[in-house]
Amino acid sequence: MSMVNFDRFLFAFTIASHIILVAMSISLILLITVLEYFNLRKKDDAQTDLIRRLKKVFIISFGVGTASGIVVAVELINLFPGFMTVVSETGIIGAFYLEIFAFFLETIALVLYVYFEGVFKSRYAKFTLASITAFGTLLSGVLITMVNAWMNTPNGFYFDTSNGLYSSTAKIIVTNVWAPLATVSTFSEIAHVLVTTVFAGTMLMGSYFAYRYIKSRDNKERGLFGSVLRKISGISIIGIVLAGITGSNEMATLLKYQPLKYAAMDLNPVSGSGFSERLFGYISNGRLVGAIQIPGLQAFLAKIETGMTQLPGLSSYPPSIWPPLWIHDTFDIMVSGGLLLGLFLFILFLFFVLRKDYVKNRVMLYFQIIMGFLAFLVYEDGWVTDEVGRQPWIIYNEMTVSQAANYSTSLLIPGYLIIAFYIIIIPVTFYFFARIFNSTGNAGQPVSPNPRGVQH
Amino acid sequence: MPGNQCLRIQEVFSINFIFYFDFAVFSVFAMLFITEIMGSVMILIGWNKYRSGVLDYIVPVWEVTGTFAAFWVVASDFAFPNVLIPLANIFPGMIMLFLILFVARNSTIVFAEFIMKKGWLDERKLYSGYAISTLLIAVIVLIVLSGIIGGTGINLSSLSFSIGAWAVSAGGWLFLIGAVIIALGLAPVFYNVADMKKLTLPFTALGIVVSTVSLYFLSPGSFSSMVTIPIVMTILIPVLFMVQLLRKLVVNKLFFIGWGSIDLFTMNFMVYPNAFGNKFPVDPITTSGPLTGMYFVISSAGLIILTILIVFYAYAVRKKPLVA
Repeated sequence: MSMVNFDRFLFAFTIASHIILVAMSISLILLITVLEYFNLRKKDDAQTDLIRRLKKVFIISFGVGTASGIVVAVELINLFPGFMTVVSETGIIGAFYLEIFAFFLETIALVLYVYFEGVFKSRYAKFTLASITAFGTLLSGVLITMVNAWMNTPNGFYFDTSNGLYSSTAKIIVTNVWAPLATVSTFSEIAHVLVTTVFAGTMLMGSYFAYRYIKSRDNKERGLFGSVLRKISGISIIGIVLAGITGSNEMATLLKYQPLKYAAMDLNPVSGSGFSERLFGYISNGRLVGAIQIPGLQAFLAKIETGMTQLPGLSSYPPSIWPPLWIHDTFDIMVSGGLLLGLFLFILFLFFVLRKDYVKNRVMLYFQIIMGFLAFLVYEDGWVTDEVGRQPWIIYNEMTVSQAANYSTSLLIPGYLIIAFYIIIIPVTFYFFARIFNSTGNAGQPVSPNPRGVQH
Repeated sequence: MPGNQCLRIQEVFSINFIFYFDFAVFSVFAMLFITEIMGSVMILIGWNKYRSGVLDYIVPVWEVTGTFAAFWVVASDFAFPNVLIPLANIFPGMIMLFLILFVARNSTIVFAEFIMKKGWLDERKLYSGYAISTLLIAVIVLIVLSGIIGGTGINLSSLSFSIGAWAVSAGGWLFLIGAVIIALGLAPVFYNVADMKKLTLPFTALGIVVSTVSLYFLSPGSFSSMVTIPIVMTILIPVLFMVQLLRKLVVNKLFFIGWGSIDLFTMNFMVYPNAFGNKFPVDPITTSGPLTGMYFVISSAGLIILTILIVFYAYAVRKKPLVA
């Protein structure tokens, strides 16, 4: 493997592991905030106990996630120093910098919320601190997504070279320092990333609670888990609707501003109109082979999303800048998975409409367990599609990954160590989630105070 | 306008505020990290005896230390964009090892907080894991810092770092040993351990001597009489600790961290105006142009938010003192 591919692989591996923790953290703190809100309206000892247990899980998720976030940030500098140099010389560095203060907001609010519960005793104070923590967590997500959006649709600068592309001697001319915080794709990307992150994390928690509900023999505990499952399903139903809307908006943005990526994702060999939607298949000798086609669907969707009738094709671009075409398959898997999730949640919605309790239906609970994992697979798959779809560029149409990479071979051994470390730490973290959640008292019973006297 | 007044204004505007702000952030991060290093030593040498006092401090604060670390890294990215490629080429292995240890530090402490003994794994083993990771991170940070101050082990023309070349330099080792001895000397003050009272002054004094010699070896060109400021500030801590009347002040954790941060900040002359053994000027690599305005706007807004948060934090600490 070449060094540039090693850098790619290491970073991809790290971030694929990191986003598992991110989705868990964001959805956990949102769930905790929702529960604190319900506690405001009606104090419930069992729910208070559940919040305590979830807080401990969140602290673990936050602790490991923070370290992992720093790994991602420092790896960006270490693996792609050329890229970070450009970032640091343009306004997008502002997003990284702002993120630090969002991170402070999240950290200090969390510390006050968890460790100083004895000082901030009132339910309003707890709800406020949980909300601030959630706000800080979401804001961190928003700001880092801004950076990704800028990588997809860069603005606010240009390279002072003959062809406008990066070269090692290129001078960076900043035209607007604040523009990178609001590119043409920023808002659509933030909306889709945030919604799907919350959705994936919430669905995964749904899996866990469904499993616990099925396994539990304690009626009180089942009652509590059932109540959480109903809240989770409500959030998930809203989430899947929003994921669909924001996903559609994302495709419209791609079509307008990253036509090559769009053409690769929809596997359009040539430009044209009236295209069918192609499921799977591949391109051989410039022709589409083996795809399941739904006539006119792609053209119809493009028309209603953007009003465009002429759709881009791969042949309009030199093959040297095509992304790997297997992103068409990952895209199809993402959409198919999303449709399956949508179907499951639609059935769940029908339970609500018909005023039936889905939690009492064992088959639905088994499906809930499966769907939680599917949601996460779809989430990871969507991320792969987005990132690989930008290849070979690290900054779209400006700088390639090869130009940004670090070619030092001394990265190899520590890099493999980081991979090995993640392979261990992610399952161990989830094991601890379950162990800590289960070991801190049964639902409805007070949690024994920490031997050190720190209040949780 | 009189000539000398004009000159003074010019001098004020020629001050590299971005460097000083970055160094201030580094000082706070380093001070918070030093308190964790001291705690780690206490955990390893006397778990049963010092556990309560150390953990009551470390458990709520380790996340804040990590956040300050991230603050310094990003602020430095912003402040010195052109130094990223050289640093990534000089210290790639060190940086990656640092990352592994950082994840190990966070994971072990967060697992230790809530662990219920099951099998061989217990709270003590996990906290020891945290302490060992923290101390190893300290070793890496000190090696990198000694390189940045004195260029030890660094070849600037080939942009490489040789641990072998570092290991044969007296300055690097003395820098490491001096820092460890100072940490050992100050730990009983910070954690208010009366039975180690007699050790604090001799250890701190010895650490200061070793560190001062190391700084001279590392970068004789940057060494100046300015070094007396951090020396006096550091030695004052154990001296105040010895005086019964003033002990209460110096064992106050907020005071200690504030004092220590200022103490570290006064050492900026070792890397400014020139770093890497007085060979590498800092001003030309500092960000300039339109980004400077953005840097100041975000820093100012961020500092306001941070100050409000710290006030709340201090309020909470006052209401529920961390000192055992």
